[in-house]
Amino acid sequence: MKRGARPLGVLPWALAFFFFGVAPLAYALALSFLDYNPLRADRTVWVGLANYATALQSPSFWRALRTTAYFVVGTLPVTLTLAYAVASLLARARRAETFFRAAIFFPAALSMVVISLVFKSLYAEEGLLNGWLAAAGLSRIHWLLDPRLALPSIMIMDIWSSVGYYAILILAGRKTLPDDQLEAARLEGLSAWEVERRIVFPHLRPVLLFVVLLNTIRAFQIFIEVFVLTRGGPLESTLTLVYHLYDRAFYHFEMGYASALAFLLLILVGGLLVIQRYVLGERAREAR
Amino acid sequence: MRGGAAASGARAGRATRSRGSAWGLYLALSAISLASLAPLLYMARVSFGAGSDLPIAPADWWGHPLSLEHYRDLWSGGPMARFAFNSLLVTGVAVPIQILLAAAAGHALARSGFVGRGTLLALATAFLILPKQVLLAPLYLLFASAGLLDTYAALVLPHLADPFGVLFMAHYYQTLSPELEEAARTDGLSASAIFWRIVFPVSGPGLAVVGVNGFLTTWNAFLHPLVLTTSESMRTLPVGLALFAQSEHRVDWGALLAGSTIATVPVVLAFLLFQRQIVEGILKGSSR
Repeated sequence: MKRGARPLGVLPWALAFFFFGVAPLAYALALSFLDYNPLRADRTVWVGLANYATALQSPSFWRALRTTAYFVVGTLPVTLTLAYAVASLLARARRAETFFRAAIFFPAALSMVVISLVFKSLYAEEGLLNGWLAAAGLSRIHWLLDPRLALPSIMIMDIWSSVGYYAILILAGRKTLPDDQLEAARLEGLSAWEVERRIVFPHLRPVLLFVVLLNTIRAFQIFIEVFVLTRGGPLESTLTLVYHLYDRAFYHFEMGYASALAFLLLILVGGLLVIQRYVLGERAREAR
Repeated sequence: MRGGAAASGARAGRATRSRGSAWGLYLALSAISLASLAPLLYMARVSFGAGSDLPIAPADWWGHPLSLEHYRDLWSGGPMARFAFNSLLVTGVAVPIQILLAAAAGHALARSGFVGRGTLLALATAFLILPKQVLLAPLYLLFASAGLLDTYAALVLPHLADPFGVLFMAHYYQTLSPELEEAARTDGLSASAIFWRIVFPVSGPGLAVVGVNGFLTTWNAFLHPLVLTTSESMRTLPVGLALFAQSEHRVDWGALLAGSTIATVPVVLAFLLFQRQIVEGILKGSSR
């Protein structure tokens, strides 16, 4: 029975959550139906779904989605494979496991701004990577200035920064595998590879699907990387949905249009979550 | 926790084969750890260099003179000291409040039934995965209309709405037996006395998770501090650094990476002290 405790304790947080969470969300929904520029608030007009229609017809919106798709296709297989490999190595380490785990996981705690700044210095025209190329007698590569290379350069940074994070998730999944199940498999004479393929991998399936989902959702929300490294350029080759949203809202003050973009983002991410529910059922929650 | 022990048990039986592969294992883990930390070592090395050029190759690391030049410049001339002060102030104010809110609201949600409890829990859970970018435009407009843009209130308040700590503590209290609290109630202790004298003192392990994850998200926060501040003197470290890197002038990498190093030191400390809690927070769904 729940009795006697003080429900009042929830109030301070509930107020903050209402004012800085729920209310802004409702406000964003309302904004998305308006043509609203705070610098010309007197000319605010209800436009219905026009902002959504404009977004769906705008080349920048589709370019941003395509960027996200490239990003997912380019990073996910690499990140997932590396994270899986790193997690299985960590699971086998007996000595200094704590040290290795900490070293590999540490980038996940870092600020994305710091990560982006360090990589910007590595990718700079006079940076370390071009220095190495020059020392090897090769010509300089315009990592962030070439429209064909800017996105892959950001993808490499993303892989570096997220492998450890996902490896820790996968490692945690491995540790929920009962020891006796592994032991039984070995007594049956299965090789390490067969144990991995027939027991560990199926056990990790929900975690891996969760990683796939998380990585995809994060790809939709990429912003800091682009803000620091390329500002969406060159030639919009790194324009992401959130950078587009930021640009519309805070450089052009098209708050209504930006909010419609935000809700399109919400619908996309929500759609992915529904798919996850459908594919994984409740197992994903347990695996976490 | 020790799932790796299973692998080791089976390995002992095949000692001869595993000696070679153990070498391979530790070699691989060392290489991965190095790859994971190298960009940060590079950052620190450049920050302790001199002059405005990037030291090109790690081969030059030892030859290049060590110097505190960049740190001195940051502290005397630039706005970096102010950024660091702002970050410390915002984190120092927001995190203790987050901890108190999480304890109070988490306990209320775990121990008492009230109207709207289910809705609140569902909303809070939804906000864990909500792309925060959706709230940017409305938060900006709300703070603008309240005349609170460019204030410490704007930097602190949005952090207090974070649902992670509350949900985490609600779950934490549900796993604690309510017997002691009920006995105290029978003895006639008031609800607030029960909370402060009985519940709060046993909340340490849970609050450590909430606190350190709150610290990381607040210290690394970028989006709302970017949007809700307009003058340089109100920037936090991540925002100040990111805008610094975008300036039209030639980028001073030494200074920038010195600033990045300063922004990283507290994260390293938190990581060394609370790695277990950080991992637990991530496994329970704290957003990075």
